[in-house]
Amino acid sequence: MSEAAAPAEPALIAFRGIEVAFGGKPILTGIDLDMHKGEFLCVVGPSGCGKTTLLRLAAGLLPPSAGRVLYEGHDIVGPQRDVAVVFQDYSDALLPWRTASGNVSLVYETLGTPRDERADRIASVLARVGLAEHADKYPSQLSGGMQQRLQIARCLAQEPKVWLMDEPFGALDAITRQSLQDEILRIVADTGTTVFFVTHDLEEAIYLGHRVIAMKPHPGRIAATYPVDLPHPRDQRTTPEQPEFMHLRRVLLEFIRGTQT
Amino acid sequence: MTPKRLLLLLLSVGVAAFIVGIWQLASNLHWVSPIFLPPPDRAWAALLFDIERGDLASRVLLTLEHMFYGWLLASLGGILIGSAVGISSTARAYLAPTLEFFRPLPASALFPVLIAFFGLTENMVLVVIGFGALWPTLLATINGFATVKPRLHEVARLMRLSRRQFILSIALPNAMPEILAGMRLSLTIALILSVTGEILSGSPGLGYWIMLQARAFRAPDLFAGVLLFGLIGYASVQIVSLLESWLLRWRA
Amino acid sequence: MRLRAIDWRGAVLPVGVLATAEIAARLTDYQSSSLPRPSEIVAAAATALLDGSMLHATAQTLLSALGGLAIGASLGLIFGTLMGLFVIFNRLMEVTVESLRPIPSVALIPIALLIFGLGYAMEITLIAKTSFWPVLLLTIAAVRGVKPRLLEVARLLRMGLIARVFKIVIPAALPGIFVGFRIAVGAALVVAVTVEIAANPLGLGYAMMRAQESLRPDLVFAYLFWVGLVGWLINAALLWFQRRIFGTVAFRARP
Repeated sequence: MSEAAAPAEPALIAFRGIEVAFGGKPILTGIDLDMHKGEFLCVVGPSGCGKTTLLRLAAGLLPPSAGRVLYEGHDIVGPQRDVAVVFQDYSDALLPWRTASGNVSLVYETLGTPRDERADRIASVLARVGLAEHADKYPSQLSGGMQQRLQIARCLAQEPKVWLMDEPFGALDAITRQSLQDEILRIVADTGTTVFFVTHDLEEAIYLGHRVIAMKPHPGRIAATYPVDLPHPRDQRTTPEQPEFMHLRRVLLEFIRGTQT
Repeated sequence: MTPKRLLLLLLSVGVAAFIVGIWQLASNLHWVSPIFLPPPDRAWAALLFDIERGDLASRVLLTLEHMFYGWLLASLGGILIGSAVGISSTARAYLAPTLEFFRPLPASALFPVLIAFFGLTENMVLVVIGFGALWPTLLATINGFATVKPRLHEVARLMRLSRRQFILSIALPNAMPEILAGMRLSLTIALILSVTGEILSGSPGLGYWIMLQARAFRAPDLFAGVLLFGLIGYASVQIVSLLESWLLRWRA
Repeated sequence: MRLRAIDWRGAVLPVGVLATAEIAARLTDYQSSSLPRPSEIVAAAATALLDGSMLHATAQTLLSALGGLAIGASLGLIFGTLMGLFVIFNRLMEVTVESLRPIPSVALIPIALLIFGLGYAMEITLIAKTSFWPVLLLTIAAVRGVKPRLLEVARLLRMGLIARVFKIVIPAALPGIFVGFRIAVGAALVVAVTVEIAANPLGLGYAMMRAQESLRPDLVFAYLFWVGLVGWLINAALLWFQRRIFGTVAFRARP
């Protein structure tokens, strides 16, 4: 590993020769992947290809069986507060007994933020995801889209450098999904964070990502990498009509079909 | 409330009144001896008289005190021990079998043991209530800790919650519905054990009082006392239920 | 590790406490009128078991419990089925049921004494009253929980009420009813011992009180563990039976 040959900006998160096996069964094999600062990386692949496992490695929720996962050059040994995870099952990831602001408050409580600062910061985070008026509602009183917004707000409160998102919009209807996609793009543009985005929706991956990683199952491995050469900011009406979008969509679709035969 | 529901409720009151009426008639016509089954009007008169005399009210208060402190002791103990056992699988492995053995043990069986230690005292009664009413809350707490969703465990790890923060912010609130249900059950047990304890220890509470009425064959006063016990049981469970629905308002 | 049927760690606490108590008592030559040595408890239990007094008391308690259960559970089953089948009946009895239910059984001891005097009759009556409620409430819930489809089948087959109850409703509601019965059994044992301790000169509870009064702490503890063992065995047997008969379906009904 020659440091001189590395690009000017070292990888923010790097997977090096990753192997993961559960009970002798290989789940991931030979994963080498660099994520750079400010990059929006989307991971697609059929179910069972280990894309969620890859995300859990980066989150520090799971150690690799072999190989190293590096964050800013250091081995990841456990979860860190500047890496935020957005789960698909928002209703299970929120605390049902706390209001929207209470759920965000949890972050400030664990960070030891002084009590008198919390209220303002909670309000500003909730406002950023459009939940200002729902601060006193419990998750059970919020729609699915609003609950997912709340989970995003809770992650925002962590002021993360990296977002790890595990099919965050998979359980939402199409309209809500589109508006949340744009919101994530806006948040990422505002904060300059790095995103690792797992999805099974190819169009979503192309629409959001700078780069799309396609994975194959049995055992999970990276099959191909596609840079997405589409202008920013992206637009729900015009971006999908661009030739590059349609081309990538077709390539990825063929790839997925190929893994299923 | 729909009109139909209201009508049924009124009819249901009517049924209860009808039963009381039959009882009154049965006593008046001497179908049963009023020594055993006093007519409701005489029981009611006895109740009013005994309360006005001032004695009964203070006895009720004393019984409520026994029940409340015993229940409080049991609830605090149950939540504390339950948290300790619930948070650590090691603690669970060491303690759970012993707890499982004690659980079906009739709490009243502890009276003879504890009388030897404390004598026929208030403390003895309190300890028995605390022990007997402990189990529903204790087991509910352990169970509530064990049923924290895996996703929330992950959220806690990702936020790097300390063990204390995990208990206070996630495990206990998660266990809250079961703990409250357990506390409701344990309130009923506390009342039962208060009565037993008072009968045994001759404490001046309501339990011993009704025993005295029975020995003196004062059936109307006896029934009045039992009626009060029904009221205490009903009211206390209602209060805890109200508290429960307020604390659990986050549930859909 | 979790697959092993017996985890030795569970034995550490009870064995440790008993061993410490025994050793400490022997080393310090401690004699107490309230805290016996574990070896004395074992000896007292062995004597009481061998001379038949413990088994006699157990038989008395279990006989009362069984008698009370038979009456209380049958009434609970009958009323529960009726109130579950006919919502209107349930609604009409609402106020009566809700005003009787909160009266604690032990508060009825004086009334039972007044009517029946000491002996089996008053104990059995109180146990019947106690075991009536869980069976009633869980039977109502279980009967109302019978799948409407099954009742439609009964109607399509033009079954009469009796046939419907015995061939469809009760079998379908049986798992829930059994949970109520199991709770009732536990409560019956508790009330039996309590009544015996508080008033009735019968059974295990009375044997404990007598041992206490004659300053035999070893015998009191022997009875305590024996009562615990009997309760635990009955509960374990019913649980085993429930799993055996109704499979591993989780019964989540609350008392």
